[in-house]
Amino acid sequence: MSLLLLIIPLIAVLLFIFIKKDYLLHAVSISALGLQVLLAAFLTKDVVVFGKVESAFFYLDSLSIIILDIVLLISFFVAVYSIQYLKEDLRPGALDLKKVKLYYILMHLFIFTMVLALVVKNMGIMWIAIEATTLASVFLVGFDNDKFSLEAAWKYIIICSVGIAIAMLGIILLHLSSIGLLENSGFLDWVALMENAESLKSASVRLAFIFILVGFGTKAGLAPMHTWLPDAHSQAPSPISALLSGVLLNSAMYGIIRMTAIVNKSLGSSIYAGRLLMALGILSIVTAAFFILTQRDLKRLLAYSSIEHMGIVAVAIGFFTPLSIYGGLLHMINHSFTKSMLFLSSGTLIQKYGTKNIAKIKGVIRLLPFSGIAFLLGLFAIAGMPPFSIFASEFGILISVFEEGSYFIGGALAILFAIIFAGIGVAMFRIFYGKGEEKDIEPGENNIPGAVVIIILLVIIAITGLFMPETILDLVYDAQSVISGI
Amino acid sequence: MTYIIYIIVQIMIMLLLAPLINGIIKKIKAFTQKRTGPPILQMYYDLFKLIRKNSVVSEASSWIYKAAPYIVFSTSLTAALLVPVTIKLVPSFNISGDFVIFVSILALGRFFMMAAGLDTGSTFGGMGSSREAMISSLAEPSILVCLFTAGLIAGSTSLDQMMMFMQAKGQGIILMNPAIILLFLALLTIIIMETARIPIDDPSTHLELTMVHEAMILEYSGRHLALMEYGAAIKQLIFITLLVNLLLPHDQFIGAAGLGGILISLLIYFLKVIVITVVIALIEINTVKLRLFSIPNLAALSFILSFLAFLQYFLLGGGYVQLI
Amino acid sequence: MSSLFDILSVMILLSSFVLMANKRIKSYIKTFRIQSLLIAIVAGILGIQLIINEGRVDVLIVCIIIVLLKVIYIPNLLRRTYLGVEHRVEKDFIWNIPILVLICCGLVVFIYFSITAIEGISEDISTIQLVNSVSVVLIGLFFMISRKKAIGLIIGFLELENGIFVTAMFATDGMPFIVDLGIFIDMLTAVMIMGVMVFRISDKFDTINIDELNKLKG
Repeated sequence: MSLLLLIIPLIAVLLFIFIKKDYLLHAVSISALGLQVLLAAFLTKDVVVFGKVESAFFYLDSLSIIILDIVLLISFFVAVYSIQYLKEDLRPGALDLKKVKLYYILMHLFIFTMVLALVVKNMGIMWIAIEATTLASVFLVGFDNDKFSLEAAWKYIIICSVGIAIAMLGIILLHLSSIGLLENSGFLDWVALMENAESLKSASVRLAFIFILVGFGTKAGLAPMHTWLPDAHSQAPSPISALLSGVLLNSAMYGIIRMTAIVNKSLGSSIYAGRLLMALGILSIVTAAFFILTQRDLKRLLAYSSIEHMGIVAVAIGFFTPLSIYGGLLHMINHSFTKSMLFLSSGTLIQKYGTKNIAKIKGVIRLLPFSGIAFLLGLFAIAGMPPFSIFASEFGILISVFEEGSYFIGGALAILFAIIFAGIGVAMFRIFYGKGEEKDIEPGENNIPGAVVIIILLVIIAITGLFMPETILDLVYDAQSVISGI
Repeated sequence: MTYIIYIIVQIMIMLLLAPLINGIIKKIKAFTQKRTGPPILQMYYDLFKLIRKNSVVSEASSWIYKAAPYIVFSTSLTAALLVPVTIKLVPSFNISGDFVIFVSILALGRFFMMAAGLDTGSTFGGMGSSREAMISSLAEPSILVCLFTAGLIAGSTSLDQMMMFMQAKGQGIILMNPAIILLFLALLTIIIMETARIPIDDPSTHLELTMVHEAMILEYSGRHLALMEYGAAIKQLIFITLLVNLLLPHDQFIGAAGLGGILISLLIYFLKVIVITVVIALIEINTVKLRLFSIPNLAALSFILSFLAFLQYFLLGGGYVQLI
Repeated sequence: MSSLFDILSVMILLSSFVLMANKRIKSYIKTFRIQSLLIAIVAGILGIQLIINEGRVDVLIVCIIIVLLKVIYIPNLLRRTYLGVEHRVEKDFIWNIPILVLICCGLVVFIYFSITAIEGISEDISTIQLVNSVSVVLIGLFFMISRKKAIGLIIGFLELENGIFVTAMFATDGMPFIVDLGIFIDMLTAVMIMGVMVFRISDKFDTINIDELNKLKG
């Protein structure tokens, strides 16, 4: 089943190469992702029933299935959104079929690599897949092919390649720590590593964790390795930003979580990994808070907010109590949905206004009745307002931190959340109020399927904030026990 | 008495062999340029001719100018005494030469050479001196680190003891040690820097923009010039001797003691010197002269080489012997 | 055999120093080729050893791939790139070369102290090889920092990759074969993409000086 999940996007890519009509391109893209979502649903059922799906090469447990579901659902929404977005975006010039083709090919490769990273058993192959996500998405970041996007793409590939290469060093050391312990086939196998975690050589494991944290942390956008993220997110086409922020960061974070589980089990305590994760996490939140306060660019604002939320997840994983992991995983889910919704609606906004400057975007509600309102509510959500889901998980993490007795960190987090709330609030009011020159812009939604997607996502985050389905909670709880081993 | 024999042997070999090195290098260079070139013994003829001539001394110069050739020549010879041409000589003569003294004696000679270059007040002399000062200040640290590392490996600061150690432990596979390889490369670079060879200085040119060594001795003539050139040639041979005796050990192949052993070992020494000379000539053929401002790069390289050797020695846990 | 590997590790480290001291793109490529060749030799010796001892063929295949990819294909690719973008000599470093090289020396010392500080690491592998190969990684990173031209950055990245690869060779006798293959594919794609990016940057900015890429801030 996992194999099928990987074959579908590849078939789609092959089809894209030979298709000559643009509506066929859209259709293939949608149906491929629809099929993948269906498959993921079946796999989820399997995982819920059996606890895990394992074969020689693939391994899916509740942790990976959660992130896999996020990846595929959001990719599906993004694909739906992309149809009209591409038409809009290419309207100024003639609709260039070649570019649309390239977009779809790279997007599906990108999704393929992320799925690969999630379903494989072998940490080495997971590394390869995460490196490949960079390679697949770099031309998507530079899709506009102007000076800005080129710069963003160059920074993206250089910083991420180097970061990931450093993670490779960590993988090598992990491999080293298990030599003599595992059979040939079990090399770098996450399950085998986890089973034998106690007898891994702790010196190598410690060193490996640092390298892997720095490497995958680069990809996950943790400060101080985050510098590529705002550029890439702001310059990529908005659907791609939604994928980068909502999905890619999670895949990288997934690698860190897997590694943290091994390290903590191997060292017998969470102090070593926890401190490192918390330090990076809090640094990310601080950096993000600072830049959010002074931000003038809509998409960069959202990008820094992604850094902040990845920081929160890192802190939550760092604490490594059942409650904090639980909160962290929920937070990953919630952040993905909220942030991709925000990026998609910001795409609509930007296409409407032709600028990313917050100061020039006025009277959103009149011009874009659905996406505009969704965007503003989304900003509320991402800032951590109830009743949206982000609030619930953030609050859960805060409680878990206070329960551990870390009043200082808890207090600091609370203050930072408040600062970020204020920063996003200021941006929001700038967009809400004030009258700009809006005469030459036609009111009304251009991207109808996009608006529908955005509304669906909005409904999801609003509902899950109030009431999370039992099944998902159980799944997250399972994932938590997979990580913490409790 | 034994000392005197040692001194005589050592000095005779140095004096006789030193001009030959330059001859060989020139011949090889000429050969690659499809010229006949000067005869191998040309430098002997030159020195012989110059020594018989009077020297012209500038009126503007002081005693330093006149004293410098003698000092340079004698410091070279004194330094030569600290670097035995074959360690077969060492046990019977009980010599000992500390590498710091070795370096400082050579530095003394160089100091006077630079002072003499400045003394005449000519522009070329001053230019040569300032360049020489720069090059030597860059080369000196690497010589010291290099010899220090060798001393660390051998557990002694005296050059002959280092040589003894290397020759005893060498076993013919000494080149398998990373520290030694690095030292070898470092010392080779140092030789090139110290002896005014091509990437640093062109010994065969009198082009004012490029010369360093030649600029300093430009004012000299006759006997003085002969002494200066001779001193430089001896210095070159000293470094080559250091290289071959420290890092290309050979004495373990010779069982024989006494005079026969010494002679065989001298023969091997001679062959090794020729090999290194050829290597230097090949380097000189295959490189172009560096810009003056690029010389620090080469100096940095030689320093890095010797420093890395030092580090590798530590990486092996001081385990020179364990490695072999 | 281990002392042979020691020497090769030193040679690889030395080549990274030479790379650092270079400033012509042509000699970057040449030095990179030599470094890759040294790594191929390491892989070759290791491969032959493993065939004799354990019957594993994969490392030898890896060696062949290294020769084809890193010694032949990628340097040629880079050469084409550099011929395409009118740029020959690196002129503006952050500091001058001797200082850069000395800093690299400091990096090696740093790695030496950090690695020997880890208890129990020397039980598994030869410290000299680990220190040297990890130093190559760090020097590669520093090379990327010190160079301002896009091609220099690519070379630095490749050197870093080389360092990681040789670390894998020394530390673990090579990774599982499929992982090795994946690394090669990734690296090849990365270099090709970077090459294309260099062309595009040269097109749009009329230079490949990455200092010009400073429009995105805050």
